[in-house]
Amino acid sequence: MHWPRAVLWLLLAFPAMLMVERYLSGEALALELYHPTGEWSLRLMIAALLPGPLIDTFGSNRLLRGWLSIRRNLGVAAFLYALLHLVFYVLDMRLISAMVEEMAIPAIWTGWLAFAALLVPAAISTDRAMRSLGSRWKRLQRLVYPAFILAIGHWLLIGWDWLPALVHLAPLFAVWLLRLIAVRRSNPVKEQTRPCAPH
Amino acid sequence: MRTTLKSWPLLAAAVLCVGMGSPASADGDVKCNAGPQEKWQKISKLKKQVWLEEWKLLKMQVQGDCYEVYAHTKQGQSVEAFFHPVTLEKLVVFRRGQEIFRAKGFKG
Repeated sequence: MHWPRAVLWLLLAFPAMLMVERYLSGEALALELYHPTGEWSLRLMIAALLPGPLIDTFGSNRLLRGWLSIRRNLGVAAFLYALLHLVFYVLDMRLISAMVEEMAIPAIWTGWLAFAALLVPAAISTDRAMRSLGSRWKRLQRLVYPAFILAIGHWLLIGWDWLPALVHLAPLFAVWLLRLIAVRRSNPVKEQTRPCAPH
Repeated sequence: MRTTLKSWPLLAAAVLCVGMGSPASADGDVKCNAGPQEKWQKISKLKKQVWLEEWKLLKMQVQGDCYEVYAHTKQGQSVEAFFHPVTLEKLVVFRRGQEIFRAKGFKG
């Protein structure tokens, strides 16, 4: 591992270390760490999803290329924060039977499903998996989109707090909209013909 | 990519529709109409209420003008309950975002 990557991972792990320390010292209960772990997971997903559409819109530059080059790390970190979220859930619930019993509640199964959807891209995040899966790799990585939406749904259903969830959706909607506009501008003829299905 | 991009708004809609079936009140929005804080009972007195419910107390705090309790029921269910700070009456109980109890006549 190059040292810049080690520094990046130290930075990514720092909030998690603080949370684990707060739990172990008895300063925070497991249930109080649901929110910070979930929020970090979502924000890292957003950070991983932003550079692609930004490059499509504004073209490549040093900053965006650098951002793109750490995208896989951001995605894996998002998964690890989701895993930590799950660990605190298990520590809070204690009983497997209680966890199974509440799985039918929408706020809970959306969370499990989001985790499952994120598990796949995280599991194939290695260079080797990337090489062996070829074009399928990119398709499987796109599971992060449903994972993200399910995670937002999970958050909404748990607390019914609309504003912060919408705030987290906003940057992605903004860049997707920008990309759409950029694609239409640069390719007006193609765009006009695309919707026509074969007659 | 096209399939994923086309299907995710559908998924989002599905998730939200499922959610719409549940009561849509934010936990932070519960209003107890408790009046001035000088007249509130000590929050520690809630411990007895929690014991009477046969719950395992995890956390107590002031939320807006309510007392909020995080606890586990005897069956291990995770609950979030709101109590009136003056009467210590149990007003509303949520379980993972779903309302499972509401005191008769309580609209806050």
